[in-house]
Amino acid sequence: MNNRLMKKSMSLPLVILWLWAVLFLAGCGEGEPIKKIDLSQREEVTVRGPENDITYAYLPQYAHTVSYERHHLVVDYLSRATGLAFRQVFPDTFDEHMNMVGRGLIDITFSKPFIYVKIADLYGARAFARIVEDKGKENFRGQIIVRADNQQIKTLTDIRGKRLIAVDPTSAGGFLYPWGLILEQGIRKEDLAEIAFAPGPGGKQEKVVMAVLSGKYDVGIIREGTLDIMAGKIDLNRIRVLAHSHWYPGWVYAARRGLDPGVVDKIRTALLELNADNPEHAAILKKAGFMAIVPARDEDFNPVRRLGQFVVTGEKP
Amino acid sequence: MGIIRFLNRLSLRNKIVIGISAIVIIFGVLSALFASRIAGSAMLEEIKKRGRVMSLGLAARIADPMLALDFLRLKNMVDEVDESSDDIVYVFVQDKDGRVLSHSFKGGFPVNLKDANQAPPGAAEHIHLLEIDEGERVYDFAIPVTISHERLGTVRLGLSQKEAQAAVSRLLFIIFGASLGAGLLAIVLGTLYAGTVTRRLDILRKSAEEIVKGNLDVQTGPQLPRNCWDLKNCQQPECPAYGDTRRRCWYLSGTLCPECAAGGFEQKIKACQDCQVFWENSGDEVQGLAEDFDYMALSLRSYIASLKAAEANIARQQQVTKTIMEVNPDLVSLQDAGLRYQAVNPAFCQYFTLQERDIIGKTEAEIFPPDKADVFTAEDQEILRTGRPLSKEVLISKGNDKHWFHIVKVPVYDEDQIAGLLLTARDITAMKKFQEKLIQAVKMEELGKLAGGVAHEINTPLGIILGYAQMLIEDLPQDTESHEFLKIIEKQAQICRHIVADLLSFSRVSESRMAEMNLNQSIEEVLTLVRQIFRQNWVDVEVSLDPHIPPIRGDREKLNQVWLNLLNNAFESIGREGAIRLTSKLCPQGNHVLVTVADTGAGINDQDLEKIFEPFFSTKAPGMGTGLGLSVSFGIVREHQGKIFALSPAPAKFLGNADKHKGPGALFVVLLPVNWKKPVADACEDLAGFNMQDIRWATG
Repeated sequence: MNNRLMKKSMSLPLVILWLWAVLFLAGCGEGEPIKKIDLSQREEVTVRGPENDITYAYLPQYAHTVSYERHHLVVDYLSRATGLAFRQVFPDTFDEHMNMVGRGLIDITFSKPFIYVKIADLYGARAFARIVEDKGKENFRGQIIVRADNQQIKTLTDIRGKRLIAVDPTSAGGFLYPWGLILEQGIRKEDLAEIAFAPGPGGKQEKVVMAVLSGKYDVGIIREGTLDIMAGKIDLNRIRVLAHSHWYPGWVYAARRGLDPGVVDKIRTALLELNADNPEHAAILKKAGFMAIVPARDEDFNPVRRLGQFVVTGEKP
Repeated sequence: MGIIRFLNRLSLRNKIVIGISAIVIIFGVLSALFASRIAGSAMLEEIKKRGRVMSLGLAARIADPMLALDFLRLKNMVDEVDESSDDIVYVFVQDKDGRVLSHSFKGGFPVNLKDANQAPPGAAEHIHLLEIDEGERVYDFAIPVTISHERLGTVRLGLSQKEAQAAVSRLLFIIFGASLGAGLLAIVLGTLYAGTVTRRLDILRKSAEEIVKGNLDVQTGPQLPRNCWDLKNCQQPECPAYGDTRRRCWYLSGTLCPECAAGGFEQKIKACQDCQVFWENSGDEVQGLAEDFDYMALSLRSYIASLKAAEANIARQQQVTKTIMEVNPDLVSLQDAGLRYQAVNPAFCQYFTLQERDIIGKTEAEIFPPDKADVFTAEDQEILRTGRPLSKEVLISKGNDKHWFHIVKVPVYDEDQIAGLLLTARDITAMKKFQEKLIQAVKMEELGKLAGGVAHEINTPLGIILGYAQMLIEDLPQDTESHEFLKIIEKQAQICRHIVADLLSFSRVSESRMAEMNLNQSIEEVLTLVRQIFRQNWVDVEVSLDPHIPPIRGDREKLNQVWLNLLNNAFESIGREGAIRLTSKLCPQGNHVLVTVADTGAGINDQDLEKIFEPFFSTKAPGMGTGLGLSVSFGIVREHQGKIFALSPAPAKFLGNADKHKGPGALFVVLLPVNWKKPVADACEDLAGFNMQDIRWATG
């Protein structure tokens, strides 16, 4: 008889616990405060930017948020240091950036050398300062890299018939500077099996390194310093630097044509005063990715002008 | 209280159905409440999460157009989010100063909404419940738009609570519907289930009622489709379970399956757990109960049958015992260790003229007179103490009634302990009297021998004395003194010679001349001798002789002497003036002749009555008689193989007309066989009228 059906019944304590749980849960959750809002009172929204602000633009190399992140401290600093009102503006493209400089919508432009050369020559913008990047070098250059185990490419001339990848057609260090070097070797676009540029936004330099490492491309063009950044991600011994380009100036601050020279002077002074030894300045510089800012003149960019001409026409000026 | 009384009165079936339904409904409702609460809050959380995710997504994407002040993109993005879901009431973007950059409202931006919810500095979000319209509630999400921890502005998104509530309502509807369905299902199933339970319980109840009514032949358990012998292909009809459709095999001991365990139910049922028959045929508790019940009823029936048989047996034995006790003429009683009467038989009660109920439970002291009770109790206690049985004969007098009893008292043992006393008392008065008569007969026999011996020895010298005396008489002259003296000697010697002759006659030493003779004639001869003398003394003799008496074998002379002795005794007892009645009669069987002599004389007292036939016993004055008359008569009658006895006072029927005379009188009866060869087995009709115990028999 012992194995016959066991009588199952719910004990009283269990029932009480159950009821308690139900009542407890039923009782809570009603305590949220409610605010009564009358939606009937309406107004038209008007956004009015201050007309007299000095506009500051960072060539839209990256997303606006990145531009903002890197430069809003510099903008704030300039406002404080010069006592003038500054406003960072965000053009969507290089062309828009250049156009806005031409139209006077951007007072202070921070752009890379080839763009500067264009706006200087097209719209009369004038350089007044340039940045020193991380390694304390006033100029920078590009690198031509291959995989360390690539036995077919020993010298630059060996890249004929190979597949090449670069950062961007407009990139100075990531294409134009080393491309100039390649052209100097008498190698033309047609001599290569393929010329490709890194896809998509962000991390383009790193993409080139990875494309070479993977073997998809034989030769890669990057700006010097990229490999150092990737030191933690890849084994640098697997990459061999085939050649370096010549040295060229880096990113440059320029004022639009017609901007009050006094204002330009104030700005240049303020920028030049930024000193990495000052902790406050160091934070600003670090955020912007500078080591220091040094004075610059338009003439400093003549080699870039010449290289541009050479790359476009194939003729040495 | 009313509800409880109502519930108590409900049938078990309804109770089960109501109980199951109530439990299911209560639990369903509570579950629905519980689930709806949980689901509601989960749903709310989900909605909040959704609002948060949408707001965060917008906040992440909107930084670029905010920085670029691209109002078209701002507007597009805001509208895109606003249209992505019906429950989004509004979306708008504020810059870090709280100015609205873009919004989804049509017809202007509601001013009050701007500051209704603000994300505090450093907070990732802030959600506030707003009531924007009558009854319409909105969760307002304020999500900061930040770039590297810098606050660029705020995205605000309004998510209607309606959708959340509608979802919860839908959920509630489903849960309540499911609960209701479950409740209905529970009622249906509960009804079916309760039906199966109560139907069987009802059968059980009816069976119980049948048993109460005395009908033990009930079948409560179900009939099995396949019994154990079917399941096991059993070929052993001698198994107690084989063919028994009423009892399950696991209740029966001594079943023959190899799997079956020996022993009682406890041992057996353990082995049954793995048995196919048990698995197939055992049911739930109710079926088990019904089967137990059937088994119990059957066991009870056989138990009651055996009990009845035992009862009948006991009753029979009791009847036998009772009959023995009641029929037993002996006095029987049983006393306990405290000497209280436990049982007595009717003879006991009758003797002491008591009712059984007056004796049972009482002690001797409460029933008998103190002197007797003390004796009895002392005896009883001695027996209880020693354990030795007592056997004795006692004479108990009750008024004039005297009885001899043989009393036996034995201890009654109960497991080596004396638990009481059993008394049996037998009335041995008759035996005692018989014993006395035997002793008397022996005494008479010895006396006869002695008297015969003495008479024989005396007879010779007496003859010599008489002879010489007569010779001397002849020799001596008649007128002399010596001659006179010799005459006296001769006369006295002659007297002695008569005495000796009588003694010899008593002891049968004397010679008998047995021949065929007429009894009546013999009596007539004697009567002619005495009738004259009796008449002179005014004593009448009335004679009634039976003419049918055949000739008997006897000594005429001797029998004459018997009649003479008896008539003389009667005459002397009367003295003067009285009557004697003499009868002779042939007994009905024709074997005996009866002669009676009744007188109206002084009679004989009880003590003398026992001794009258002894030699030399006489109530007369010394010298008036030898005391040998009746003893001689006794000897003669004995010689004739007859009987002689006396009664006093004389019964009236034997006196006839002589009864008119005064005096108790006495009756002497002589019984003589007609033919000696036939045994004296029958009694005469006339003698049957007497209390035979009172008759002093004269013969051995």
